[in-house]
Amino acid sequence: MKPAAFEYHRPASLDEALALLAEHEDAKPLAGGQSLIPAMNFRLAAPAALIDLNGIGALARTGGMDDGGLQLGAMTRHCTLERSPLVAERAPLLAEAMPCIAHPQIRNRGTVGGSLAHADPAAELPAVMVALEATLVLRSASAERRVPAEQFFTGLFATALEPGELLTSIELPPPPARSGFAFQELARRHGDYALVGVAAMLTLNEAGQCSRARVALLSVGDGPVLAVRAAAALAGQPPSASSILAAAELAAREDVDPPSDIHASAAYRRQLVRVLTRRALTRAAGRVRPSSSIPT
Amino acid sequence: MIVEGTYPLPGTPVVIWDLLMDPEVLAKAMPGTKLLVRAAADRYEGVMRIGIGPITAAEFELVIALTDVLPPYSYAMQIDGKGRAGFTRGTAKVELVPEGAGSVMHYSADLQVGGKIAAVGQRLLDSVSKLLTRQGLEALNRELNHRLGGAPA
Repeated sequence: MKPAAFEYHRPASLDEALALLAEHEDAKPLAGGQSLIPAMNFRLAAPAALIDLNGIGALARTGGMDDGGLQLGAMTRHCTLERSPLVAERAPLLAEAMPCIAHPQIRNRGTVGGSLAHADPAAELPAVMVALEATLVLRSASAERRVPAEQFFTGLFATALEPGELLTSIELPPPPARSGFAFQELARRHGDYALVGVAAMLTLNEAGQCSRARVALLSVGDGPVLAVRAAAALAGQPPSASSILAAAELAAREDVDPPSDIHASAAYRRQLVRVLTRRALTRAAGRVRPSSSIPT
Repeated sequence: MIVEGTYPLPGTPVVIWDLLMDPEVLAKAMPGTKLLVRAAADRYEGVMRIGIGPITAAEFELVIALTDVLPPYSYAMQIDGKGRAGFTRGTAKVELVPEGAGSVMHYSADLQVGGKIAAVGQRLLDSVSKLLTRQGLEALNRELNHRLGGAPA
């Protein structure tokens, strides 16, 4: 399998990359290449030009922000996030999801920005970013804008990225006080596309009731699906077994319209939403810490 | 792969029927249609261009043969499409049921998809067909509304 002929550009700076992107209408940015290159080799994708972002060191910078949050450069590799103590401390939901992404070889090459811009409905990171209320920073040659993760994913493999725009970084807010998290997914074999996955964040008020719940599901729609009815049902409730069960039931019955494929029927996916949402919320509730542990 | 559902349309079955048989209207209901001609009373031929996300748009040659035509209430279609990225063939049935001043369209299709697209994109076929169906019906509805504009709905 070999790709169709294409032009290859390897800019050394972001400005150069953005200029190339503005100049070449049918160009694709190349990040880790773990989805784009196979699609090109199958000749399903045939961009006229690739703009390789791997030479731009500034895009791979990841670090803490002053507010206790995290900034992830779009070209940060999965394996870097997976092993980062800072990510484990400041975005433990992200850290828990990382080992679920494909296999180590793919995580060595694949990047956080590549996965988000590709917007595969079965990918883990889009759901995690929606659950974490991340902000995505998009740059073009002329402007920069910031888009909440929830608004970034607009459909099947579709995002808010305009032609000429590049996802440059992702900003994660610090975990709220009294919050817990969990990531759960089921795949036929470890590393396969998940049949269903759940990223959950749960925040309690001082009385121990849920003040905010974010349940983002993957592999059940055109992109990450936020289980809004399940979250609304939890609001004001203590995270008891019965309130979690009721929320999981709502997620399965009303929040999703999952697809069928040869791996799982829609009905089976719905049942997995029910079970995995219950497990994720139960685990998240059990992990709620009395207060934020982020040093300021 | 099975695609089925119902969709409300403006206008009675009698009004909608002729429009549905018009290749220009039919083309609106099929996203990516570049060309569609009525080659015979019961046969349409055309070219569709479909691309999803990272997939570069691929062209498909399409032949639709009408069978079991019962104006203005129902017809069936034999669908045959092929292109470099794969093929699809199967049958679809369309039924128009009067409801109030309008109609409800009941549609169902049983399509086989094969070739490269099916081999690589199996897990996405359901989502893609739902997406294309939704886009097609919304476009058809807009077109019908446009064409029936001014006429009682």
